[in-house]
Amino acid sequence: MRRACLAVLLALAAATSSAGELRPFTTDSLAAIRQQFAGRPFILTLWSLTCHHCAKELQTLGKLASSERNLPLVIVSTDTSDDARELRAALKRHGLDRLDTWVFADAVPERLRYAIDPSWRGELPRSYLFDVAHRREAHSGLLNEAQLKGWLNRQRAGG
Amino acid sequence: MRWSIRLASALAIASLPLSATAQQHAGHAAGPDDAEVRRQRAWDERVAIASPLSVGAALDARGHLWLARVENRHLRVSHSADGGRSFSDPVAVTPQPEAVTADAENRPKIAVGADGSVHVSWTQSLGKPMSAYIRYARSTDGGRTFSPPAILNDDRQMISHRFDALAVEGRGRVAVVWLDARSRSGKTVNKSPQTDVGLYAAVSEDGGENFGKNRRVADHSCQCCRTGLTWTSAGPIAFWRHVFGRNIRDFAIADLNGGPVLRVTDDEWEIDGCPHHGGGIAADGRGNLHIAWFTNGKKRKGIFYRRVAQTDFSKSAAPLDMSVPLALGEPARQAGHPAVAASGDRVLLTWREFDGQRFSAWAMLSQDAGQSWDAPQKIAEAAQQADFTLPLLDARQALVVWNTAAEGLRVLPVAEAQP
Repeated sequence: MRRACLAVLLALAAATSSAGELRPFTTDSLAAIRQQFAGRPFILTLWSLTCHHCAKELQTLGKLASSERNLPLVIVSTDTSDDARELRAALKRHGLDRLDTWVFADAVPERLRYAIDPSWRGELPRSYLFDVAHRREAHSGLLNEAQLKGWLNRQRAGG
Repeated sequence: MRWSIRLASALAIASLPLSATAQQHAGHAAGPDDAEVRRQRAWDERVAIASPLSVGAALDARGHLWLARVENRHLRVSHSADGGRSFSDPVAVTPQPEAVTADAENRPKIAVGADGSVHVSWTQSLGKPMSAYIRYARSTDGGRTFSPPAILNDDRQMISHRFDALAVEGRGRVAVVWLDARSRSGKTVNKSPQTDVGLYAAVSEDGGENFGKNRRVADHSCQCCRTGLTWTSAGPIAFWRHVFGRNIRDFAIADLNGGPVLRVTDDEWEIDGCPHHGGGIAADGRGNLHIAWFTNGKKRKGIFYRRVAQTDFSKSAAPLDMSVPLALGEPARQAGHPAVAASGDRVLLTWREFDGQRFSAWAMLSQDAGQSWDAPQKIAEAAQQADFTLPLLDARQALVVWNTAAEGLRVLPVAEAQP
């Protein structure tokens, strides 16, 4: 049973090692993400399995991802690697498992929160909309599809 | 067994992408500040936690300290007669290992009656995210043995029953409140989907042997902030983050003897989200209430204290007599998670700050029921992860219990000016 379980996990991990890998988010990860999106706008969304509203946020993002090709979206869970299985299941349920997904990886998660934004107090979901110049707009709570689409269209229109 | 498989799976998932990276790096000597090494270490630490930092603590009538903590999926209780220098051997409250929730806003609760009976409540996490039961056990032999754990939520649905708070009267009555999602599956479903959790209560009139039927105290609470419960001479008063109007997440109190929901903060925090950050309540010797809370509202942001003057909370229709909210701590250091204890006319407020690297524990005392306050004191720092601060107060001592990863469980006395 245990061996079978591990074999399946190994296969899964091998199949998804390039795309859809849940990457450990550390204090230097935001800098790496910004580098990855240099000169491009992107959306950073933080969520948790323990957050009542976050399932709805994932649902919105899933719908957006299915209608927008190459959606510049980065999804970061504030849970831990202990929750990897549930995190993957939740992301997959909303069609988000092939996107750029991360999970907090620090024995002091507050350090990660602080590194992202000292004025963020941990409320979820939390989103940052980074424009072309990476000026960011912070938002606490749910964003709806119209808000996100509007923002994306404004970015594409160059402003 | 199920757990070991789950843990093994988590380890497998966690280590796979990283071990590949580690191999790539094996060719060169990794410096201590190598990002990949740090990342790996942090990841391993998170996976390995078997003893969560979130604990419960209480003083008994003799001034002895009682502690409830989770170790290897068991809830264990120990006590100290010497101010926390030494503790008794821990006694397991859970006969079988179970998923006792112990993370930040959720922690085991412990309270000791005047007769020496020891009461514990906790949230048992079930098989899917956010689903849980409210559990309770007691000891009538000074903490040597505990009754088999009871499930207090009488609906037994696999839904969210979490964020329990516990209070004992001292003469046999025991009360537990929690946030309960059962109204979501019933007929009271509200139009706005984010307000379908309510506050429920179970009260025992016989020292915790039997509990009456669950009672719904309020509909439309916020979903994932800790609740508070305190006993006044008139009865138990609950404190929680409520949802006012469509979506204003400010605080409320209610007398469990059928009293109305009374709004006690007006910060106007409107958010379609989870604050994960509640508050605390304590009643002083004259029945005044002392509350401390976090908000990120339109009117104020940060942590605050206010006093609610004694009145008949079970029918109070008149406006409450409340002090102006007093800001606590340093907002730039993310002052948060305040808690309050009261004894006679003394009130002890504690909170935690974080400067980006290190946590610190803070305390502030009042000798006159919250009308004036000593200067805030920084009582300790922690090098690594740290729990919230737990204030404990009786006629002889003012203590803060602070569990920290690097320094261990600390019982910190608060310096007190002699009256």
